Amino acid sequence: MQRIFQIDGEETECWLGHDGSQFVLNTPDGTVACQLDPTGLPGGYTLRAKGVVRELRLAVGPEATFVHMDGRTYGVGRVDPAERLAGRDGGASDDRLVAPMPGVVVSVAVKPGNTVEEGQPLLVIESMKLETTLTAPRDGVVAEMPFAEGDSFGLKDILAQLAPEEE
Amino acid sequence: MSFSKLLVVNRGEIAARVLRTAKARGLATAVLRHVAEQEGPAHLIADEIVMIDGLTPVAAYLDIPQIVAAAKKIGADAVHPGYGFLSENAGFVAALEEAGVTFVGPTSETIDLMGDKVRARAFVEERGFPVAPSAIEDDDPETFVERARAVGYPLLIKPSAGGGGKGMRVVREDSGLEAEIETARREGERYFGDGRLFVERYIERPRHIEVQVMGDGQGNVVHFWERECSIQRRFQKIIEETPSPALSLEQRQDICETAAGIARAVNYRGAGTVEFIYAQDGAFYFLEMNTRLQVEHPVTEMVTGFDLVAEQLRIAAGEGLSAVQADIPQTGHSIELRICAEDATADFRPAIGDILLLDEPQGEGVRVDSGILDGGKVTTDFDPMLSKLIVHGRDRAQAIARARNAVQNYVILGVTTNTGYLDAILSHPDFASGDVSTGFLAEQSEMLTAPGEDVSDLLMAAAALSDDRLVSDVMQIPKMHRKMGGWRN
Amino acid sequence: MRRIESLVDTNAADYKANYAAMSVRLKEFHARQHAARFERPQRDIDRLARQNKLGVRERLKLLLDPGTPFLEFSTLAACREYDGAVPGAAVVTGIGIVQGREVAIHANDASVKGGAWYPHTVKKIVRLLDVALENRLPVIHICDSAGGFLPLQHGVFPDRYLGGRVFRNQVKLSQANIPQIAVVGGHCTAGGAYVPTLSDYNIIIEGTGAIFLGGPPLVKAATGEEVGVQELGGAVMHTSVSGTGDYRAATEQHAFSLAREIVSQWKRTPKTIIETASYEEPYYDPTELYGIIPKDRKTQFDMREVLARIVDGSRFHEYQPDYGTTMVCGFAHIWGFKVGILANNGVLFNDSSLKAAHFMQLCNQNRTPLVFFQNITGYMVGREYEERGIAKDGAKMLMAQGGSVVPKFTVIANASYGAGNYGMCGRAWDARTLFMWPQAEIGVMGADQAANTMADVKIRQLQREGKELSEEEIAAIRDPVLEKFRRDVEAYTSTSELWDDGILDPADTRNALGMSISASLNAPIDDPHYGIFRL
Repeated sequence: MQRIFQIDGEETECWLGHDGSQFVLNTPDGTVACQLDPTGLPGGYTLRAKGVVRELRLAVGPEATFVHMDGRTYGVGRVDPAERLAGRDGGASDDRLVAPMPGVVVSVAVKPGNTVEEGQPLLVIESMKLETTLTAPRDGVVAEMPFAEGDSFGLKDILAQLAPEEE
Repeated sequence: MSFSKLLVVNRGEIAARVLRTAKARGLATAVLRHVAEQEGPAHLIADEIVMIDGLTPVAAYLDIPQIVAAAKKIGADAVHPGYGFLSENAGFVAALEEAGVTFVGPTSETIDLMGDKVRARAFVEERGFPVAPSAIEDDDPETFVERARAVGYPLLIKPSAGGGGKGMRVVREDSGLEAEIETARREGERYFGDGRLFVERYIERPRHIEVQVMGDGQGNVVHFWERECSIQRRFQKIIEETPSPALSLEQRQDICETAAGIARAVNYRGAGTVEFIYAQDGAFYFLEMNTRLQVEHPVTEMVTGFDLVAEQLRIAAGEGLSAVQADIPQTGHSIELRICAEDATADFRPAIGDILLLDEPQGEGVRVDSGILDGGKVTTDFDPMLSKLIVHGRDRAQAIARARNAVQNYVILGVTTNTGYLDAILSHPDFASGDVSTGFLAEQSEMLTAPGEDVSDLLMAAAALSDDRLVSDVMQIPKMHRKMGGWRN
Repeated sequence: MRRIESLVDTNAADYKANYAAMSVRLKEFHARQHAARFERPQRDIDRLARQNKLGVRERLKLLLDPGTPFLEFSTLAACREYDGAVPGAAVVTGIGIVQGREVAIHANDASVKGGAWYPHTVKKIVRLLDVALENRLPVIHICDSAGGFLPLQHGVFPDRYLGGRVFRNQVKLSQANIPQIAVVGGHCTAGGAYVPTLSDYNIIIEGTGAIFLGGPPLVKAATGEEVGVQELGGAVMHTSVSGTGDYRAATEQHAFSLAREIVSQWKRTPKTIIETASYEEPYYDPTELYGIIPKDRKTQFDMREVLARIVDGSRFHEYQPDYGTTMVCGFAHIWGFKVGILANNGVLFNDSSLKAAHFMQLCNQNRTPLVFFQNITGYMVGREYEERGIAKDGAKMLMAQGGSVVPKFTVIANASYGAGNYGMCGRAWDARTLFMWPQAEIGVMGADQAANTMADVKIRQLQREGKELSEEEIAAIRDPVLEKFRRDVEAYTSTSELWDDGILDPADTRNALGMSISASLNAPIDDPHYGIFRL
């Protein structure tokens, strides 16, 4: 029920409710009872809100809604706050690679001080007869590579450490 | 000389417009289309489409061998170049001639002459037509800087091989002259492959007046009156109109006759436009001649009642002009707006997007030359101009009113366009009074891009209620709970 | 359905006196609720902030659908225990809406004693899970607890309906195909570790959430191993190594966004269908209840006037209006749901008991939920009534009520004494929800009666020993007993002890019932079947 709307570079967080008889858009500045009815023209609607009635033409794109109203054209970006949060999952605070099980380092691809990109191979390990390439969890700078080629490591040992992200 | 199958080697709105006239004249029609190009109106009109390819889409439309081969392959015996692309490329004309295909336009000699701004200027000056004080580098490269200085300030440095307003630099003070000359030279090399320059007196607050001419190559030339194109941003025309609100009838006749004279002097064949700089004191100077059909030709068609493409095709087919000067009236007033995919609030950065909804205005005195279709896509592959909106009224006031009404009702949703900006220009008091010069848009830029009334609540309501997923999320809450709202015991 | 015709005069002196008295009560009630929900010592608020945790109310705001109601249970649990230092028993429970679905909420309040489990905490959580089981409501747990409060472990751990019952209920929920999500926003230690592990889905908030059977201090004490919280049971470990955690959330917002997303994936099961109509607001203003409910508990009032301010359109179809008049029975709609209402207008006699029993059978027959409005001091006593078989008739009423298969809801609107409480579906009789009004009282008998009875015993005992007592001496024996009894029967005591699901402002009753009835329809209704009616 929540959306962030972007108009002219400004973002407004809102949520939409329906009180049993009409829709109400809740914005930080107040509530807007509103109603949108099709007019039969392609993309044509009548908007009733804030005591006014407006004929408009409207088209919904994947990320923005475009409105033609009173001789002017507008674009409204739409963001679902949940999607914005979900995009950062998989560990936004990943600063390190932790060994999922004991094993041996086969090869190390980077050195402390190297700048790496998310997904870039950092080292190759071998565990249980399986070789795995471990990649950088995010863009960043390598702070430490505690193990060298040929070293063995234990469960949960830190295999790579990235420098903390700047704010 | 006559031909039966016309290949239009252009795209977008001009291709569609040319094809329409060609079809009406009973010709078989074909048009080029790049493999990555969106479907447009031209593709729906032409009988045949010839696919072309290239490193970039623009490169494909400049690929002379590919295009000539295409014409031959489909048996086209005539080619219309539109504007831009190869329309003023003498090499292309020559290649077509060799292939036995008629080029709808002037001779390669005329194109050559007028394409070289320095030569063109010299040619015109020699024959007694007015040119602005200038200094041409080629005349004597050693003394160029000195002679440039002598032109007087402010002056304009222009690349000889340039055109369309690109690569020009204004110098107001002597201290900057030599540095600006160097920069202009570098840019000339970069954009046009030619670093030669010439310098002209820069007319303050000039108006850009141009005259539409047409010649049959047999010595007969007529003019189709003037157009005023002073509404320009960074030397790109945005709004054009005819007749010019600044000129009296005598002044218009004077400048149009001058243009016709210049066209006669080269025994001009086909459609062309002579561009002038018009100073505040009424003096005017030859700027350049464009040896092609121009973007803004429709306003001329609206006030004279002539189809200029039909004239071009007649002339190319050896049928000559369809009228004499006395038969060419100027009735009412016409304004053209260039509808471009750009964000006026973000320094006119080109915009891209899907055309989710297109509804072009209609009505009396309204003409839309469109290069887009509903459901199409706008990319940066080509020029941002999507279409032209042309209106006609019995006088300038009615034309402006119709233009405003039409541009306000021009619905293009999904990609940012300059319709709002155009409306702001049309409603500006200086535009209404006709008191503008080529600096108008730059001077008034803040006012013209000022935000309007805050309707953000209405917009958000519309966006929320048309968001199906949002609405269904809300409606899945049982009715009773919705009615209770945020109740707490 | 006809509207109840109200005879209440809102300008009458006693109406105004009642209104004033109730206003005073409500002012105190709302202040106490507000304190229990929101007022915390600054150091506890600071501690949460230092730990980078959101408070429980902010977490609920992220979880629940905006603009939807939340029916909170037992806000004032433990208000008379632990010197009032454990507001709400350190846990928030209730029924809310997430992604359009009704869910039961169990959320630790870490701003109270670190969210520790006191005896009353356990009782409140078990009650919430019982509500979830009976009504087939999915449960969302928000875990953030310091664990059991050790000094009172005997009240937290060993017995059948104590700590273990929480986890047993979780197992039963799962067994009954009722989903549970746990959002781990703090520590889940020892037994507490079972909340997320017995949930179908769990989400661990990085940095703050942790699950371990033994925390670092215990591990060190047991084996000498030194290990930090994150390594032992943090989000990263559990979601990538042990597989105990399903989702790792970077922030609180992320965690609740994930929880909402999980809920949105659940297949919605069709709710039980009962008779409904379009809803109507009561014709009379619900706040008039304040003037109708008498300021003195002993004053009689007509329950129909109460019903007129609660039911849709104030419409009521009375059953057997001229018989057994101390029991008001009839049909009405609440928020559109058709319900059968039983309400006391005096003590229960033979006829009123029989009428109630028959009416309840009618409701079971046509799948009509039952709503009880209690104002009962007992069954009639005396020889005539015994000869007429009042005990049998009371038993029949109990058989019908106790054997009901339809959902039952109880509002203790005034008095609730003795066996009358039973007949009218008191706590022991499985009401899906049971609420008290602020002035209501509940006990085996009225305070005065009880005090007198107990004092009499003492007085007679002393008299047998030959002592004659003066008025003052009698008072000295009776008054403290009376004082204690008065306190023991108060609504605040009941709610503190979790003998009810919360005290309600009478004007909130309609919504509380609406939400309860709606929630109950997530469970099927059986076919009616009863035990033996002693005829």
